[in-house]
Amino acid sequence: MSVMSSQRPPRRGSRTAEQSTAPRDGATPALAVEGLSKQFGSGADAVAAVDDVSFRIEQGTVVGLLGPNGAGKTTTIKSILGLVLPDSGRIRVQGIDMNEHPRAAYRHVDGMLEGARNDYWRLTVRENLRYFSTIKGIKPDAVADRHERLLAKLDLLEKADEPVRDLSRGMKQKVSLASVLASESDLVFLDEPTLGLDVESSLTLRRELRRIVDERDLTAVVSSHDMDVIEDVCDRVIIMNEGEIIADDSVPAVLDQFTASAFAVTSPDITDDLLTTIRDRFEVVDVTSGERGRRVEVATDSDGFYRLLALCRDHDVTLTGVGTVEPDLEDVFVEITGQER
Amino acid sequence: MTKGDGALTTSAGTVADDAMRAGYLDLARAVLYREYLIFVRYPANAVGGIVISVFFFGLLFYGGRMLAGRAITDSIEGIIVGYFLWSLSVGAYQSISSDIGSEAQWGTLERHVMTPFGFAPVAFCKGVAKVVRTFITSTVVLAVMLAITGTSLQLNVLTVVVVASLTIASVLGLGFAAGGVAVLYKRIGNWLNLLQFGFIVLISAPVFELGWTRMLPLAHGSALLQRAMVDGTRLWQFSAVDLGLLVGVPAGYVLFGYVVFQYTTRRARRLGVLGDY
Repeated sequence: MSVMSSQRPPRRGSRTAEQSTAPRDGATPALAVEGLSKQFGSGADAVAAVDDVSFRIEQGTVVGLLGPNGAGKTTTIKSILGLVLPDSGRIRVQGIDMNEHPRAAYRHVDGMLEGARNDYWRLTVRENLRYFSTIKGIKPDAVADRHERLLAKLDLLEKADEPVRDLSRGMKQKVSLASVLASESDLVFLDEPTLGLDVESSLTLRRELRRIVDERDLTAVVSSHDMDVIEDVCDRVIIMNEGEIIADDSVPAVLDQFTASAFAVTSPDITDDLLTTIRDRFEVVDVTSGERGRRVEVATDSDGFYRLLALCRDHDVTLTGVGTVEPDLEDVFVEITGQER
Repeated sequence: MTKGDGALTTSAGTVADDAMRAGYLDLARAVLYREYLIFVRYPANAVGGIVISVFFFGLLFYGGRMLAGRAITDSIEGIIVGYFLWSLSVGAYQSISSDIGSEAQWGTLERHVMTPFGFAPVAFCKGVAKVVRTFITSTVVLAVMLAITGTSLQLNVLTVVVVASLTIASVLGLGFAAGGVAVLYKRIGNWLNLLQFGFIVLISAPVFELGWTRMLPLAHGSALLQRAMVDGTRLWQFSAVDLGLLVGVPAGYVLFGYVVFQYTTRRARRLGVLGDY
């Protein structure tokens, strides 16, 4: 199902979520959510945290869950995990009804919630993996080799016998991720997996996460405020706002819908008067100055772009740079949700 | 079917075969082992608890001797047994009620909820682990009390362990109830810890004069423990009614604690505050 904002209809060339994430072999989806609703409070104070949300995720897909604060992301994740009781809706994990058979469903699903604090800091890294494997119904001795490989992939082997409390923030985050992946669940929820990490640690973590997901054919739902994480790691993105899904498509398709929606011209000849004229005729998104002159970015279509070039020519402007502005996921997110940057 | 990173996967995802599946015994072993690791790796908490218990007993004993003279000395055996039981009860109650609050803060409570074993068996194993730990520290306190006072008691291990364990099981039930309330109302946990001072009253309840007090937590078990440790009564020498109450009363409180815990955690899930601290 593809749900798009009514303000911005899908453009030519975009693919729908069904097209981009269709079942590869008609198998049971890893996750199916139907009509999920959750309201907090009552009467005049009632807030619909999640309002009739439906989606399905096929096995092996990594889905990014985006939305501003209060959009309903965490409530959705916690409802799927059984940590919040929804008012209505049906959730099936690997075809197992979460409400009717939670214990059977928990064999397949695990979550890293709210960053680093979901393991025991007084235990060592290896002890955490063994403990949480057992809690998830897996004998740690039977998967000891896999744990070692997981630790190696996340560069944790050297620290494996150190208490988690003695590790850096980035390492703790990795341990948290490792202890979730060690549970052998085939559907994992990762809430802000790179929160608080420096750039290098974040890059390492998302690279390894993507590699592990591919190797193990895992299904993952990643919630993050960091658009780069979603863009790097995810196949598909679901954007929520005010408890509803407002966009649901593959990452390339979402980006594609906004391709060439903005153009930029650069020249030292763009005067204040010309800039005023451009502002009168176009939607100017950004104006910057650099070595090559003044750069003016306008939101327009290709016809508008040609009109902009003609205007520059009429004013004897020698352009030192011309081009389209490729949107990133943050641009798309801001556009769809109407959020401030 | 594919193999990646050693994980056996199908189109439906990773599948653990039967040989890989952990059972309840594995669960119990893991929970107990974790408790053991914390106990030996961070002994300061346990040692601190022992020192404080012994310190207050010393105050009670020497202070009491100065004020009441022989009266204290004559009843010292009963006081030691009562103090031993109180130290056991406080340890079990605190470890359960505060442990649940701590797990909620650490974000590990959710992971114990998301288990295929079900949260109740996991919580039960954790409760047993706490009781075992508390037994070890309270036994040290008991040994020090006997050494300080020069007293000897009848210590039939089977009788003492069974009677004391069943007695504090009722406190375990209260601890679960308090932990559940703390999950729902968060910072109320510290206030609920005040309940432990009420255990002194329960342990010294006049069960022979007021029969109904046997239905209160700790009261009946306390009386039996006195008979076992002071008079040397063995487990099999107690009447069927005494043994029935010894099992039935804590079972009722454990059930009560379980029901309250289930209710409060379900309500916390409905309100969306499970684990939020």
